[in-house]
Amino acid sequence: MPAPEKKRFEDVSFGEDLESGSPDVSLETVKRFTRASGMKFGRFTDHEFARKEGLPGAIVPGIMSQGLLVGMIHRWAPGSTVVKIDTVFRAPVLVDSTPQCRGVVTDLDADARQVEVDLTIVNEANETRVLGTATVRLQADNPQ
Amino acid sequence: MDIASLKKEWTGFEFDTADFVVEEQEMLDFALACGEVEPRYTDATHADFQAPTTFTSKFSGRRILPKDFPRIAKRGGFDAGKCVEFHAPVRAGDTITGASRIHDIYEKTGRSGPMIFIVHRMEFRNQRRELVSIVDWRMVQQP
Repeated sequence: MPAPEKKRFEDVSFGEDLESGSPDVSLETVKRFTRASGMKFGRFTDHEFARKEGLPGAIVPGIMSQGLLVGMIHRWAPGSTVVKIDTVFRAPVLVDSTPQCRGVVTDLDADARQVEVDLTIVNEANETRVLGTATVRLQADNPQ
Repeated sequence: MDIASLKKEWTGFEFDTADFVVEEQEMLDFALACGEVEPRYTDATHADFQAPTTFTSKFSGRRILPKDFPRIAKRGGFDAGKCVEFHAPVRAGDTITGASRIHDIYEKTGRSGPMIFIVHRMEFRNQRRELVSIVDWRMVQQP
């Protein structure tokens, strides 16, 4: 499969929405993430365990939510580099739910060829669970 | 609690270091579980194969807070967020050293009363002492 075309700074406009999507937060995928991250907390991988801790069910690790947002940025801008991402874990994202990742371009820095993106993850009730900002460096007009 | 004094006494010095060896399979699983599509993160044969941008956020040191740091919360705190600054790629087989310090301490008042934010910073360097990332972890404690 050919590599997707890289997004250039010149292709981005202020206020542009990133294509939103529903990330895979199934129990199987979250278990894969926790294994890769060395996390051994039952609240992430066991609904019953999480309920006993007072949660509505197993929750997606905050750093996985952050990774899901980076994944969305790369789907929107292939070849880009996320140089900084700052996320606030406002409320849990539930495992086996269908959250939505969203983003919008809020600033453009032509000198640095970077854009600022506001980020959110919302649940099925459109309630914000995670919010943040990212600084994304894009390709030059004529990349070498 | 006097936040200014707490900040003056406990921020800015390194209190822990820990080493981590980066495994290829962990890089792949981290990337794929996060829905990554960039081949440089998802294909171990790619010429520029590297760990996902926020990979170092999974590492924690041997201590969360410096020895003898005063107890603030009556109960455990919670994770309010993370900030990751990318500086250089992390490669499979790298040995990454994370150095911990308290970067900031500040107070905010929420719906449930005052909250103390402790910003735990880890600077990660590879075996060549190159800075690869900085991860700030905001911990919230309620007095």
